[in-house]
Amino acid sequence: MTASAPVEARAPAARRRRAAIDPALTIALVIAVAFVVVAILLPIASMVGTSLTDDALPVFQRYTFGPQRQILINTVILGVSVALVGTLVGFLFAYVQVRVPLPHLLKRFMHVMALLPIVSPPFALALSAIVLFGRSGIITRDLLGLDFNIYGLPGMVLVMSLSFFPVAYISLSGLMRALDPALDEAATNLGGSRWHTFRRVTLPLLLPGLASGFLLLFVEALADLGNPIVLGGNFQVLASRMYLAIIGQYDLLGGAVLGLLLLVPSLIVYFVHRYYAERASVVSVTGKPSGRPAELTHRPVAILLTLLAIGVSLLVLLMYGTIAWGAFTNLVGVDNTLTTKNFEFVLFGYGLEAVSDTVLLAAIATPLAGVLGVVIAFLVIRGRFWGRLALDFGTMLGVAVPGTVFGIGYLLAFNTPVELLGIPVIPKLTGGAAVLGGAIAIVMVFVVRSVPGGLRSGAAALQQIDPTIEEASVSLGADQATTFRRVVLPLIRPAFLTGLIYSFARSMTAISAIVFLTTPSTRIMTQQILNETNAARFGNALAYCVILIVIVCAAIALLYWIIGSSTRVDRGVAQPAEATLVRST
Amino acid sequence: MSPRLRAIGAFMSFALLLAACGGGGQSPTASAPAGASASAGPSEPAPSEPAAELEDTLTVLCTPQEDWCQVMVARFEEDFGVDTNYVRLSSGEALARLQAGAQAPEFSVWWGGPADGFVAANAEGLLEPYVSPNSEMIPAERKDASGVWTGVYVGALGFCSNTTVLGELGVDVPTSWDDLTDPALDDQIAIAHPASSGTAYTALYTQVIRLGGEDAAIEFAQQVHPNILQYTSSGAAPAEMAGRGEVAVSVVFSHDCVRNIEAGFSDLEVSFPEEGTGYEIGGVALIAGAPEPNAAKAWVDWSLEAETQEIGPNEADSFQLPTNPDAAVHEASVNLDEVTLVEYDFQAAGEAREGLTQRFEDEVVAAPVD
Repeated sequence: MTASAPVEARAPAARRRRAAIDPALTIALVIAVAFVVVAILLPIASMVGTSLTDDALPVFQRYTFGPQRQILINTVILGVSVALVGTLVGFLFAYVQVRVPLPHLLKRFMHVMALLPIVSPPFALALSAIVLFGRSGIITRDLLGLDFNIYGLPGMVLVMSLSFFPVAYISLSGLMRALDPALDEAATNLGGSRWHTFRRVTLPLLLPGLASGFLLLFVEALADLGNPIVLGGNFQVLASRMYLAIIGQYDLLGGAVLGLLLLVPSLIVYFVHRYYAERASVVSVTGKPSGRPAELTHRPVAILLTLLAIGVSLLVLLMYGTIAWGAFTNLVGVDNTLTTKNFEFVLFGYGLEAVSDTVLLAAIATPLAGVLGVVIAFLVIRGRFWGRLALDFGTMLGVAVPGTVFGIGYLLAFNTPVELLGIPVIPKLTGGAAVLGGAIAIVMVFVVRSVPGGLRSGAAALQQIDPTIEEASVSLGADQATTFRRVVLPLIRPAFLTGLIYSFARSMTAISAIVFLTTPSTRIMTQQILNETNAARFGNALAYCVILIVIVCAAIALLYWIIGSSTRVDRGVAQPAEATLVRST
Repeated sequence: MSPRLRAIGAFMSFALLLAACGGGGQSPTASAPAGASASAGPSEPAPSEPAAELEDTLTVLCTPQEDWCQVMVARFEEDFGVDTNYVRLSSGEALARLQAGAQAPEFSVWWGGPADGFVAANAEGLLEPYVSPNSEMIPAERKDASGVWTGVYVGALGFCSNTTVLGELGVDVPTSWDDLTDPALDDQIAIAHPASSGTAYTALYTQVIRLGGEDAAIEFAQQVHPNILQYTSSGAAPAEMAGRGEVAVSVVFSHDCVRNIEAGFSDLEVSFPEEGTGYEIGGVALIAGAPEPNAAKAWVDWSLEAETQEIGPNEADSFQLPTNPDAAVHEASVNLDEVTLVEYDFQAAGEAREGLTQRFEDEVVAAPVD
């Protein structure tokens, strides 16, 4: 913490008293805790509870040592492959971005390409991969004459690495900018070759960052539901098996058991990642780099890395271009006549309801998540109460726990009214006859999945603000609520904006939990994309993707315009949220 | 059991505590499940009573193709003035969803999908028998005698092949189930997963009938397995995969193949296994505890009319055959008289569903490829 020692010594008693009696703070705390307990812990506990009954034992046996054990093995293979490739690509992008001297425009292009997967639905790339690289793919078959089978492990690794590498890219590029170039210079001055310096100085400093990126991507790959369903072939993994168990068979017990098998490694790996991520953030002793990052002057290596990065960027561009183009064709790949019928279906026909429902619910969830994120950040960083770390931990479960687990947890926890001593405390939120057609549960999941991003960016911003500023405000007679509103909030506005943007983007692109929660009266775009994909109607699916991407980009522009017009969003502040954002699956 | 209950109880009490002093949170709005009053007991069919007042809304569980659902719903809304909503789910998914909502059904009527799905649902008390006054128009072999389900369309299972891809592979259009085990078709066949799709389950149970038992059917599925590219969740999707050339052969209901040929996938060709193929009778049924029983009955009555059964082929490219003999047969539809059919037993198929799909998962899909 940055709190200075004299302040600590002078006022702990007064502060504790203030925290206890200030009504605004108490209400904020109660709401935050209620949120964590009801929206996060209760569903997880319901799922874990279901999977720990006696009936579940044979089901565990079936999936661990029994006939279905291959699923677990496949899941690990997929996770490790995606994490490895994704981290390498992320590292490549970060290195070229930070260390290689290139025209600004080119760097900008690569940066945008690296961020594109964040604003798009999670399996958009899978669709264009089938169109481009599938059996009858435009590139693999029409151009190269190959019989390449994209279904299965290779296709999933390609698509998921491209979808998730931004996570590694964002955290690694932040890390590289913070690296003290003096260390590299010292090594070179002492006679180390460039390669030697990279291997013995730069790489060890980046290792925690690489490890954290690898682990985060591993969790992502484990949790992803859309890509394995679309591209899995016969390579079954836990998430796609869970989908079949719940959607195909309504086997809640099987779903819960699979959920636990997915939850345990995800949690372990996620918190190991947090450990590394925190170590990665203190690479230099002084905290501030002593100069601009050293540029890579070795031309052949620089050219090679640049070409590789440009190649990947162009691949991303090509795949998104295919999405846009495919959305305007009659039967993409077979009959490429241009048409607007897919957009008519989505915008003026049946799809309109899904578009408006999704935007409405995401728009409701966004400010809730934004405010909640900043409030919890304030409580965690500035609060003086027992259990604030538990509050932090509980909130972060929103991203550490795979979305499918939340989906099943919500079904188990809220399919009947939650009662205590016969008094209904929470009405039925999921399934048939749910309150407001299940919309509340969907908004809750949106918020749960978005708050951690807001919390991290808010916490990062708060740590950079000296608490004496707030104390001054309180000394002058303002209460906590006024201080928060008039002093803290303006100071952390960039972080708040980042939180809002990412909440909206995440909500619009969420699928893994949502798939289990939509009802006849509430349609969600990502779910519709999955339906259209499952029925192999690519035109409609791609049109949904395009519209979704456009809406997210427009909303980001709008948020900048409303809140960010006078404040430049601080890149450093934005990064923690960006890093957590990509876990949108 | 009890530690789990205690844990959840502890959470709930904590939740209550917080909700009590929460104030600012969402206040639970009162909303009892509307009108779900039906006791699950057998209710006597109510023939030709004067139509009761229709509810304002109707929620349909729709299993055929999305666009057919859309047209049907729009037409019903127009003709009856009932605000009608639907969800399209594959047969297995529909069954799953009904089980999930058994306590408070979200749907009132289930329209479409193979009758075995209806038999399986009825075995769990999820359906309410209803003999529509229009049911007498439907031939006896196209409906359940007690009115659990009534047939609204018929379709035969077939092979839907991409002739260009087959030509490149040097393989003929399949005319026998055994052709599917041809090693030349490695990773070149698509079919849906029988757990989620009625189409695929019909195909699996056809093997049980054809080969004389579940063991033989599973063994056959194991032989085909290396040739399967992907088990999709929707039954008709494999036809479109074949249309795009992702696979050479798909196993689907023949009308889904015709539909794709009409949609522009000109390389596709329908063929049938000569030793006999399975078929579906697409059913319609009332859901037990339906929130909108009268509108649901109106839907059932309406869906059996000849004119309604002509909507699919004429307006939604759905070339299933009508069950109502008065309905015109579209020229693109497959003539079932020219196809050898197996003696499909919907009752037995429905009853075997859960066990057989589980065996399929454990012994066919879970087996490592290669």
